[in-house]
Amino acid sequence: MNAKIDAKDVRRNFTTKSGEVEALGPFTMQIEEGEFVCIVGPSGCGKSTMLRVVGGLLNPSSGSVRIRHDGPESQAVSIVFQDYSIYAWKTVEANIRLGLDIAKVPREEANERVERWLRRMGLWDFRKAYPQTLSGGMRQRVSLARALVVEPDILLMDEPFAALDAQMRAVMQEELLAICQAEKRTVLFVTHSLDEAILLADRVFVMSARPGRLLAGYDVPFERPRTPDLRGTEQFAHLENEIWTLLRNEVNRDLTNVAADGRSKKLEAIS
Amino acid sequence: MSIETSTPAASRARTGTGQASAGVIERVPGPAERDAKAYRRRGQLSDNLLRWGTPILVLVLWQLFAMAKILDPQFWPSPGAVAQSLVENVSSGYLIDQLQVSMLRFFAGWGAGALFGLVLGAVLGTFRPARMAIEPLVSAVFTVPKLALFPLMLLLFGLGEMPKIILIALTVFVVVTISTATAIVAIPEGMKEPLRSAHATRWQTFRHLTFPMVLPEIFVSLRITTGMGVLVLVAVEMVQGASGLGYVIWSSWQVYDVERMYVGIITMSLAGVALQYLVMWVGRLVMPWRTAGKRTA
Ligand SMILES: Nc1ncnc2c1ncn2[C@@H]1O[C@H](COP(=O)(O)OP(=O)(O)OP(=O)(O)O)[C@@H](O)[C@H]1O
Ligand SMILES: [Mg+2]
Repeated sequence: MNAKIDAKDVRRNFTTKSGEVEALGPFTMQIEEGEFVCIVGPSGCGKSTMLRVVGGLLNPSSGSVRIRHDGPESQAVSIVFQDYSIYAWKTVEANIRLGLDIAKVPREEANERVERWLRRMGLWDFRKAYPQTLSGGMRQRVSLARALVVEPDILLMDEPFAALDAQMRAVMQEELLAICQAEKRTVLFVTHSLDEAILLADRVFVMSARPGRLLAGYDVPFERPRTPDLRGTEQFAHLENEIWTLLRNEVNRDLTNVAADGRSKKLEAIS
Repeated sequence: MSIETSTPAASRARTGTGQASAGVIERVPGPAERDAKAYRRRGQLSDNLLRWGTPILVLVLWQLFAMAKILDPQFWPSPGAVAQSLVENVSSGYLIDQLQVSMLRFFAGWGAGALFGLVLGAVLGTFRPARMAIEPLVSAVFTVPKLALFPLMLLLFGLGEMPKIILIALTVFVVVTISTATAIVAIPEGMKEPLRSAHATRWQTFRHLTFPMVLPEIFVSLRITTGMGVLVLVAVEMVQGASGLGYVIWSSWQVYDVERMYVGIITMSLAGVALQYLVMWVGRLVMPWRTAGKRTA
C-alpha cells in the first residue's frame, strides 16, 4: 500500500427510529501524500460521514480506510468542523492551543507555534478575546488555526468556509492556498462550491446521491502557485462546466427520489 | 408625525431603530450610542434604585402601617422596634455568636455536599455503567424528605454538630449530583469531536470541555442548594439543640419575644441573600466567557 489514504468499499449505515439509513458507500478512493483533494456532492450524500470515518470519529459499518502515517497518532489527522468548532470558555489563544495542550507539547514550543498562527491568521490583537466577541470569519480563522497548529499529516476540512461572506471566503481561500503550497500537506476538503474546489484542489472527487459513492475524479491541470485569477480562464470554466453537468444529473436524480417519497425539499439541494 | 414622537421610539429600541414617518425606517444612534457613559451611569443608577428601593419601600410601608396601628404590634412589631432589638442583640454579642454557629454548620454541610455531589455527578455523567447502577439510588434519596431522616441521624451520630451538618450535606449533595450528571450527559456529541480527533484522554476531555461546559448548570444548582441548605439548617436548629439562628427564632417564640423573632428571621434571610450573591459572584469570576460581549456585566 502506498497511497496516503486508501478507502475501500466504505459503507456507513445509521439506525434511526424510522429504520435503517444508508448514508455512505460503498465508497472507494485513494489519495496520495501531499495531494489536495476536494469532494463535492449533493446535500446529504454522506460527505461529512465519509470525512468523519477518515478522521476516526465514526467507524465504518463495513469496508476500511487505511492511513499511512509515522509518528504519534495525535499528529496524523486534524479536522476543521462544519459547526461547533470552538469553545466559548477559551480565549482565542487558548482555543488554538488546545491540540498542543492535549499532545503535551512543551510550553516554549507551544507558545511559539501559537504565536506564529495567531499572527498568520491576523488574530494577534484578539488573542485574549472570547469567541462570543468575534465575527464569524474570525471564529472560522480560529478553528482553522487550531487545526493547523498541530501540524497534522492530514487535514480534513468540512465546508470550512461555507458560513463566510464572499470576500472573507476569498481571503481564506488564498490563505489556505498559501499554507498548502508552503508546507505540502495532504488535504481532504469538502465543499459545495465547484469554484472553490477547482481553485484549491489537485483533484476533485464527485460523489453520487445518498448513499454516496465516488462517481468520478477530475484532475485539475493548473500549475501551482495558483492565484484566484485562474477563475477567469477558459480552461477553468470548461472544467467547472464539466463537473457541474455530472453533479446536476446526480442532484436531479436525488430530487426525483425525494419527490417520489412525497416530500418536496428542492432548495439547498446542492451543498 | 413629528420628530418628537420618533425620538422616544428610537430610545425604546436600544438599537436606535425608529419609524421616522410612514414608509421610512430610520436607523439612528439610540441613547446608548449618543452618550455611552451617561447611558451606562443611568442604567446603573436605575439598577441600584430598584435593588435597594424595593426593600426600603417595604420597610417604610411596614413602619407607616405600624404607626397607624393598622398592624397589631403583638404580631407585627414596627421596624423601629425590631431595629432596636437588633441593636441590643448585636451589642450583647448574642446574635453574632448564633449567626456564626449557623454559618459554620451551613458551610461545613453545604461545602461537603457540593464537593461530593460534583465528584459523584461527574462520575455518573461520564461512566454509563456507574450511571445505570447508581442513578436509581440517587433518585430514591432525592425523593425522601431530608427532615424525616433527622431522627435517624440523631440516633446514628449523637446530639453534636454531626447530624445537622450531614443532613444539610445530604440535601445539597443529591441536587448537585443530579444536575451535574444531567448536564454532562446533555453535552452534544459534536462538541466532543474536536477533542476526540486530537486523541484527548478522559481527563483532558473533562478539563477542556466537560467541566467548563457544565459549570453554568453547576452554579445554578449551587445557588438553589444554598436556599435548600438554609431551610434544613433552620428546621434542624429549631428541633434540637440550643444554638444557631433557628434556635433564636424558635426560642423567641417560646418566650414571646416577637421583636427578637423578627431579628432572627431577617438575619437568616439576609444571610441567605448574601450566600446567593457570593455564589453568583464566584460564578462570574470563574466563567469570564459568560459575561464577554454582554452589554452590562
Ligand atoms: N448520526 C446520524 N444518525 C442518523 N442519520 C445520520 C446521522 N448522520 C448522518 N445521517 C444521515 O446520513 C446521510 C448523510 O449525512 P452527511 O452529514 O454525511 O451528509 P453531507 O453530505 O455531509 O450533507 P451536507 O452537504 O448537507 O453537509 C444523511 O441522510 C443524514 O440524514
Ligand atoms: Mg456535511
